[in-house]
Amino acid sequence: MSDAILKVDNLKTWFYTRRGTVKAVNGMSYSLNKGECLCLVGESGCGKSVSALSLLRLFDSPPGRIVEGHVLYKGVDLVNCTPGHLRSVRGKDIALVFQNAQAALNPVFSIEDQMLEQIKVHYDINNRAAIAKAQTLLEEMMIPAPERALKMYPHQMSGGMKQRAMIAMSLSCDPEILIADEPTTAVDVTIRAQIMHIFRRLKTSRNMSIIFITHDLSLVREIGDRVAVVYAGKVVELAPVAKIMEEPAHPYTRGLISCLPDISSNLNRLPSIPGNTPNPLDLPPGCAFHPRCSMAMNICSSNEPFLTGIADDHMVACHLYNARAGENK
Amino acid sequence: MRNYIIKRLFYSVIIAWGILTVTFILLRIGPSSPVDRYILNIAARGSDVESVRQAIEARYGLDKPLLEQYFDYMGNLLQGNWGWSFSASMPVMDLIGSHWIYSFQLILLSTIFAILLGIGLGVLSAVKQNTRFDYAASIFSFIGISIPNFWLGLMLIMAFAVNLGMFKTYYDTSYSIWSLENLRQLILPVLALGTGELAGYVRYTRSSMLDNLHKEFVTTARAKGLPERTVIGKHVFRNAMLPLVTIIMFDLGSVVFGGAYLTEIVFGIPGLGQVSFNAIFANDYAVVVAVTLISTFLVLFINLATDILYTYLDPRIRYE
Repeated sequence: MSDAILKVDNLKTWFYTRRGTVKAVNGMSYSLNKGECLCLVGESGCGKSVSALSLLRLFDSPPGRIVEGHVLYKGVDLVNCTPGHLRSVRGKDIALVFQNAQAALNPVFSIEDQMLEQIKVHYDINNRAAIAKAQTLLEEMMIPAPERALKMYPHQMSGGMKQRAMIAMSLSCDPEILIADEPTTAVDVTIRAQIMHIFRRLKTSRNMSIIFITHDLSLVREIGDRVAVVYAGKVVELAPVAKIMEEPAHPYTRGLISCLPDISSNLNRLPSIPGNTPNPLDLPPGCAFHPRCSMAMNICSSNEPFLTGIADDHMVACHLYNARAGENK
Repeated sequence: MRNYIIKRLFYSVIIAWGILTVTFILLRIGPSSPVDRYILNIAARGSDVESVRQAIEARYGLDKPLLEQYFDYMGNLLQGNWGWSFSASMPVMDLIGSHWIYSFQLILLSTIFAILLGIGLGVLSAVKQNTRFDYAASIFSFIGISIPNFWLGLMLIMAFAVNLGMFKTYYDTSYSIWSLENLRQLILPVLALGTGELAGYVRYTRSSMLDNLHKEFVTTARAKGLPERTVIGKHVFRNAMLPLVTIIMFDLGSVVFGGAYLTEIVFGIPGLGQVSFNAIFANDYAVVVAVTLISTFLVLFINLATDILYTYLDPRIRYE
């Protein structure tokens, strides 16, 4: 794709622990286009968060290490660029919004302090201008009395306010790409609506490119343009939101979609996918999903399926489709 | 905050009064009297012991009932009169006035030495966790914590003063307090008193830094593009400081009460430790009570300072 501003190619982040190698991200590939919102969807522990941290090499190292793959941003591979270049990208070109603002904000510094240090590290700007910028951002995040909010410490703010201050902070250097790691998980439903409203507005008003990590398919429907379904550290299906919802191809995606509650049906019990997510210390051979898959074939336990196109904008990593592609030839 | 400080100062006075009362009574109900020392000399010369004793006791009011003596002492104290030292034959005020500086310089220098070096090594240890540097610092601090400071003092004197001849074996009071020679002769005492503290601070700093090094806000700080020295030196360190302040201030109390006394005696430094050591054996109660009172106020002041320092370090702490 020509207008991709970020390209992740076969990224592998492994953690070398005492109990063995945790292959948290294990060959992840996707690209992000300018102004689109790509949703990474998957169950907890599937490696979505680590993959987000890997883009900026923010995981703990040791024990973590990127063993393979590339993250291409503006022609530079962030996997092996210099620490100085990486720092200039962090917070400036690519910014992160964390799941839990309570833990992600430093409890002993004021919001002003925490916002200004980021602005000042990336811009040659005086204190007054930086404060004005921070205030405008808080205002944009619908925080009442921004000049007072700046003087506050995290513990003096409500959960929703903290999350919005966190988003304001991540936007403070006008990033090209915003990575949001489950930004609504730690807040209640009304705050969630506010946060989602902010993200929708960012897309329209700033034409922001967003990687939105979530396990909640209803949020995907609300904000996503394309979806990458992640299973065991790998993208197993990649397609526009409507396509994933209407005609999911991978058996795992089909399972996820069927788990969505449907208001028009009167089921007593929601369906679920049998089994658990595989232990990342000991991934099954072949397709990592085959032990839980109702359509597994012999090949699934021995050969790893690769992401292949089944339509123009629809890719899937499953032997069902590889086989079909083979038959058609 | 102001009310809180006033309240705390008020409590401090009450606590000090309690300690003063207990110390006074314990010393005065003992079987020996400050007069005993005179009596021994007089008895050796064959004079009439009993009449001399009575004369001295009457002179200093030691023949009055204990309660009356206590009120006399309290009354004098409130007027700024700390009483009379029998062993030094001078007012307690003058005795303390001419000796406190020796203790103060020792405690101040060894505390600065222990805090700066201890925290510095601790931070480096945490950042370089599980490297050779970290292991070396750990071994050093385990040894430092285990060695009693008076023993370390004796060993230092033996090695550097007796064998190598780099220092005098005793503290020379003929140098002025502010001279370079005085600073030089304090090197061994400061090492002896400060090493144990330093070793402890290395361990505490290291573990407190490690506790905070993997917090989520540290990842946030890195994600913002901040240089590593800001991430560690500001975001991690400020949070790591909170438990450290408690420990360091607490330690300072034990230095004031314990460590400095022994170090003074080992090196022959004529500080308050030396003074009260001599006073205890001479049953010179006014001196003992005065030194105890000073130490008590010092510790109470350190505690109050700690609590106030907290509010600056951690905005979540506020006092009503």
